[in-house]
Amino acid sequence: MAAVSSFHPLHGHRHCLLSSSSSSRFYLRLRAHRITSTRRSPPSTAVPIVASSSSSRPLRAAVIGGGPAGASASEALALGGVETFLIERSPSGSKPCGGAIPLCMLSEFDLPAHLVDRCVTRMRVLSPSNRIADFGRSLQPNEFIPMLRREVLDSFLRNRAVSAGAHLLPGLCTSLQLPASESDPYIVHYTASPPSPGSLAGIPSTLAVDVVVGADGANSRVARAVCAGGYATAIAFQERIRLPPAAMSHYADLAEMYVGTDVSPDFYAWVFPKCDHVAVGTGTSIAKHDIKRLQGGIRARAGPKIVGGEVIRVEAHPIPEHPRPRRVVGRVALVGDAAGYVTRCSGEGIYFAAKSGRMCGEAIVRSWKERGMVTETDLKNEYLGKWDDEYLGMFRFLDLLQRVFYGSNAGREALVELCADEYVQRMTFESYLHKRMATGDWWKNLGLAWRTVSSLMRASIVGWEIERLRMTAVDS
Amino acid sequence: MSMAFLSPPPPPTALSSLSLRSHLCLRSHLTVFPRKLPSLFLSRSAENGAGEARSSATLVEEKEAEQESKENKGETTPPGPNLGSNGAALKAEELAPPPKFKDPRWVGGTWDLKQFMKDGKTNWDAVLDAEVRRRKWLEDNPEASSNEEPVIFEASIIPWLTWIKRFHLPEAELLNGRAAMIGFFMAYFVDSLTGVGLVDQMGNFFCKTLLFVAVAGVLLIRKNDDLDTLKKLLEETTFYDNQWRATWLEDKSSSGTKGKE
Repeated sequence: MAAVSSFHPLHGHRHCLLSSSSSSRFYLRLRAHRITSTRRSPPSTAVPIVASSSSSRPLRAAVIGGGPAGASASEALALGGVETFLIERSPSGSKPCGGAIPLCMLSEFDLPAHLVDRCVTRMRVLSPSNRIADFGRSLQPNEFIPMLRREVLDSFLRNRAVSAGAHLLPGLCTSLQLPASESDPYIVHYTASPPSPGSLAGIPSTLAVDVVVGADGANSRVARAVCAGGYATAIAFQERIRLPPAAMSHYADLAEMYVGTDVSPDFYAWVFPKCDHVAVGTGTSIAKHDIKRLQGGIRARAGPKIVGGEVIRVEAHPIPEHPRPRRVVGRVALVGDAAGYVTRCSGEGIYFAAKSGRMCGEAIVRSWKERGMVTETDLKNEYLGKWDDEYLGMFRFLDLLQRVFYGSNAGREALVELCADEYVQRMTFESYLHKRMATGDWWKNLGLAWRTVSSLMRASIVGWEIERLRMTAVDS
Repeated sequence: MSMAFLSPPPPPTALSSLSLRSHLCLRSHLTVFPRKLPSLFLSRSAENGAGEARSSATLVEEKEAEQESKENKGETTPPGPNLGSNGAALKAEELAPPPKFKDPRWVGGTWDLKQFMKDGKTNWDAVLDAEVRRRKWLEDNPEASSNEEPVIFEASIIPWLTWIKRFHLPEAELLNGRAAMIGFFMAYFVDSLTGVGLVDQMGNFFCKTLLFVAVAGVLLIRKNDDLDTLKKLLEETTFYDNQWRATWLEDKSSSGTKGKE
């Protein structure tokens, strides 16, 4: 979607307000070190000094959840010399997901080309009146949207974390015991998967760690354990449909997005190509009970293009709508879906999960190396502060776009009308593929603003006329 | 949900009082916020969606008849058996074509402007009317998109004047009347109090601010409910932002209430 202006990081309200009391409540005493004050937090007072040997034991960290967020966090931690335990309940499972990642993720995370199933170079948005906006005319030759299978990506990232030194513990985390005092560790209770696939019972085990990274997704148990608060969720529902080859060739490098009240009242429905089938699905936040009807709607709208296909799987998953009230509690940090880092408007979460996992891992390693301890303040400043600085503007902008353009048929028609414009497409791709808020030419931005207003007005006028027709039809 | 820029107060029928609420027009270019409509709108589209996605009967194709009976045509069909079951094939009858939009002037995915000629010029009002009817039809009977007959028509070819004429002139008249009355009496009042004439008032910053407030007030607050509406809208728009700041706000409050430990 179009990005009009550069975003302004919110520096102002974080200075001078972090108290020393919260940091002195949760910290780990292991080395004789004076806490140096960063530009954001005032120095802690009354730090008890605990003598220890010069070679202190490495920091122990548990990462709960082995998806992109957990794997990236473990990799960053392991590369920094932290003793990392990655707990994942189903290492071979596949997750319901669109499977689209931005182009920058391939380079930032060094993903090899063989992971990518398809390179989507054409994307269509279809309005309620089936007007089509063809994205892809303004793609550079080396730009595309990589589509991949989650099981392939997740296992690659996990294996890489393991080779960096993380210990993978297949099992389900059942509870997290909070420390009684500042120097106590967190106790992770988990049910380790039985080594032999035949036996049913898991082995209850415990793990004592200093830092916990909660990467266990939308129904995060870690978040519940630390009372991080809840969030509103949307539901994404999709069917994987295997198409006959002729129909599949239409979707060889094409992804479609459908908007309209018949397919979703507040989001979009999609047909995304995967390795040998297409994923046809829809999402909604306010009409969850009606999801089956909406799914029928998208199947009807895609119509003749998917007829003759065979449904091979049906899956659904909650998607967080906004971050949890507390993303860092004590020495527990939430990343990825568990923290709520899914953009509105596009519903993207994979890249932000991996990025936040990596940022959190690096923050932990940095504060450990610099100060010999990891405190709640450290996590907030190094991880949350940096994260919010970089991405809050983008998230807020996408929320605005969703509210304006997905909320009504008038907005949707205006959206498709605007998306036909080349400048909008260029801006959208730059922001989406490279995850930077694109700042275009100010003159062109003004023109875009004008066109946005006029499209919205035209669509609104048509909307009112429709309402008027309805009312006269009903009254008569 | 529905979004309206400066929607008119609906004619006083019970139905309309449920379906339309007036929205506010904020001044920046991207901020037209939808409100959550009560269930009437959603349930209406639910009926239509159900009728369309699962119906396999053919329906009367004349546009007039369809417009009268655009609501549920009285057929209740059982939910499609294939929705949500694994391994089931998409049968062709489940996707039986819903009644397509038919109009002699709609040719090849666009309106044939030659059929809208009046006195040798294109009758844009009629084009707009036809497009409105088409979109209304499609809202009620969503059609499958097809590659063979793509929709090419762009509403932006209709000239500005046509759009402006539809722009709810009655309400514009009302608001302009209010603004004029307020303006006249405020100017008189200020003049009688301070002796500053109208021209000099316009040069004063405070008076200009008052003028701005008066115009904004006339535009935004038209009914008593509008104050609540504005408050709710403000909450809605800042909701997302507040969620992001929640982590940091906790620090602020804890530093205020707790002393040093």
